[in-house]
Amino acid sequence: MDDRRELERLRALLFERELRTLDRLRDQLDALDSFSDRQRRAECVSDIIAEALAIRGRRDEKLNSALEPVVDDIVKNALRTKLPEFTEALFPLMGPSIRKSIAEAFRGMLQSFSKSMEIAFSLRGLRWRLEALRTGKPFSEVVLLHTLVYRVEQVFFIHSATGISLAHVTGEGVASQDADMVSAMLTAIQDFVQDCLASGKEGELESLQHGDHTIMVEKQASAYLACIVRGTPPTRFREQLRACLEDLSVIYFSELAAFKGDIAPFEASRPYLEALLEARYQDDKAISPRGKIILGLLGALLLCLLGYYGAGAYKYHVLKREAREALALLSREPGLLISYNAPTGNGTWEVLIFRDQFAAAPEDVLKDNGLDPASFEFEAVPYVSYQPEMVSRRLKADLKPPSTVELTLGADGILVLSGTAPVNWILEARRRADLMPGILGVDATGIYDPRMRELAEMAREVESTVVEFPSGQDVPAQQYQASLNQAVNKLVEMEQLAAGMDLSVTLTIYGHADATGTEKRNYEVSQARAKTIAAMLYAKGSSLPVLTYGLGSGYAGKTSGADQASRRIEMRVQVFRNGEMLRE
Amino acid sequence: MISKKICMLGSFAVGKTSLVQRFVHSIFSDRYLSTLGVKISKKELDLDGTAMTMVLWDLEGKDRYTEVNVSYLNGAMGFFVVADGTRRETLDIAMELRDKALTLVPGQVPHMLLINKADRRAAWEISQDDIRDIVAMGLPVIETSAMTGNGVEYAFTELGKAMLGQ
Ligand SMILES: Nc1nc2c(ncn2[C@@H]2O[C@H](COP(=O)(O)OP(=O)(O)OP(=O)(O)O)[C@@H](O)[C@H]2O)c(=O)[nH]1
Ligand SMILES: [Mg+2]
Repeated sequence: MDDRRELERLRALLFERELRTLDRLRDQLDALDSFSDRQRRAECVSDIIAEALAIRGRRDEKLNSALEPVVDDIVKNALRTKLPEFTEALFPLMGPSIRKSIAEAFRGMLQSFSKSMEIAFSLRGLRWRLEALRTGKPFSEVVLLHTLVYRVEQVFFIHSATGISLAHVTGEGVASQDADMVSAMLTAIQDFVQDCLASGKEGELESLQHGDHTIMVEKQASAYLACIVRGTPPTRFREQLRACLEDLSVIYFSELAAFKGDIAPFEASRPYLEALLEARYQDDKAISPRGKIILGLLGALLLCLLGYYGAGAYKYHVLKREAREALALLSREPGLLISYNAPTGNGTWEVLIFRDQFAAAPEDVLKDNGLDPASFEFEAVPYVSYQPEMVSRRLKADLKPPSTVELTLGADGILVLSGTAPVNWILEARRRADLMPGILGVDATGIYDPRMRELAEMAREVESTVVEFPSGQDVPAQQYQASLNQAVNKLVEMEQLAAGMDLSVTLTIYGHADATGTEKRNYEVSQARAKTIAAMLYAKGSSLPVLTYGLGSGYAGKTSGADQASRRIEMRVQVFRNGEMLRE
Repeated sequence: MISKKICMLGSFAVGKTSLVQRFVHSIFSDRYLSTLGVKISKKELDLDGTAMTMVLWDLEGKDRYTEVNVSYLNGAMGFFVVADGTRRETLDIAMELRDKALTLVPGQVPHMLLINKADRRAAWEISQDDIRDIVAMGLPVIETSAMTGNGVEYAFTELGKAMLGQ
């Protein structure tokens, strides 16, 4: 014990001053810990805290990591408790950008497409938006493609035999192909199928499939329709296609039948084709009970309308068939030419028809074939047909040939007349036929008038009569009296016959003398000889116009001396019709 | 607006496709890619003021032993038979094809014989006498070269005009 006491004393002796300092320091530290002094300590830290943070932040990440959760908590807490203030503070910044993004979502969407809005905010919408970003397509297109049931993108109207594109329409926003090429290729494909598979058999290519595109083909003899369809069209679309093609083949009946490559007339078919461009999108929105009632009412209304229009549609369908049959019939009828035709809207079919004067009435053609003309409104335009059938009807009506005449119209346009007929008819027929449309010439060598032959025969007899005169006299020698009488009687007979044929006969008498005597005397005596014969004729009551000529001795024969054969007369008979000489 | 369907007929490798390429795209390639089935091209041209669209059906080459795909000739409004001047037998085949075609299209359908590869005349096996005989039959003959373009435009234009006259 003493040792310890001794040690204490020694320590106090050696460290007395230091111990006192230590005691004082301890007192100060105790004072620092006490509440009253916190203010002072804070003041101390505050002097250096900013610099301290700055120094540490530069040195490493520890300060950030230490502060992060704390700050996080602070902000969260603040948002929870002070949202209104925050929103207010942030709105000027966020508002425009939100509006912009919504506007973006609607841009490019089809107006009619009401689902877009719903989609824009749904999860599915987000997925599609991503797809749009990825593929670079407009969002609206992506939406449409995903909700598309079917869409008719293009319609081609094609001439069957040649594969030539008659008309072509394209849906809005669809990239269209070269219609001429597509039409030809589609036709080639069908030709190929025809050659390889269905050789001989009836059967047509109805559709081609490629990915989610289908090419639907609807065919008739002269033309066909091809549609490029995305998705699966309802079965009624095939009906629609068929009906459209039927309409077109009626309307373009004549253009299609005579097609030579002119496609201008088919421009007008575009509205028909455009009516086929349709699309349908799926709509799977749940229907509310109230909606169901409304739908039910709508359905009932629709049924009524359907009943009304359905009957109309059926009537129209029947009319269309009738029209097709009727137009086919009429276009086969000679002298009728069908032009514009279309349904009128009040249950009839209107037809502009070119009609030759000698063609049958279109109404009669229909009636004769058991069709009802009441379904048609014909507007006839007069025209002249060159069809051989029409040309011969026109001939018959115009020439009124007697039953003894046969008219033959050759393929070369030459009308051949044969048989017998009054000469007047023959001459008139030749003249008129030559002027008639569709006739290029008249061959009348095979037709004659028998009475005309008789006249000619009589004229020959008269002309061959020999009458000679004694020298210096103007009365015929006795032995010629009988034949002269006969000739004169013939002339009287001819005069009567010709009068019955509407012809006239004239007689010319040439008197001759022989070469003896003076020339003056010879003229006188030759003239007197001709006149004697004329007088004989008049004495028989004839009123034939007679011309007499004294030709002296110049034409008689012998140039000198007395000669019985030179003292004679000659007779020439001519037949005239309206001043035109028929026979010399 | 007039559209006309025109067919190219002829033996293998006579240059049907090359003639169409030359006429439509003004190009020529010496690579030989045999046509299978039919290849369709089109060209719009102006014939003395009348616009015409020619739809060209370039048919696969035929020899004596293969049958023509008759349906492709349906409705043809004009056609060319093509022979290769350097191969005599292609002329005989061309004439046979012409006879065959005329049983399938109306006789008055305008058509012409093209003797192609005129740029290699030194190697021709078809003589001027052969050509004269054919012209005397009433079949127009035009010598062409799809390589240089000689006679090509002329041939198509002539056929176009003949079709307009129909
Ligand atoms: N020198 C030359 N070569 C030609 C000419 N035309 C075609 N050729 C060549 O002949 C070969 C056949 O040409 P194509 O045009 O393919 O013949 P094609 O008649 O279409 O043949 P197919 O389709 O098989 O019936 C190719 O190598 C052409 O380059 C020509 O005018 N002159
Ligand atoms: Mg080829």
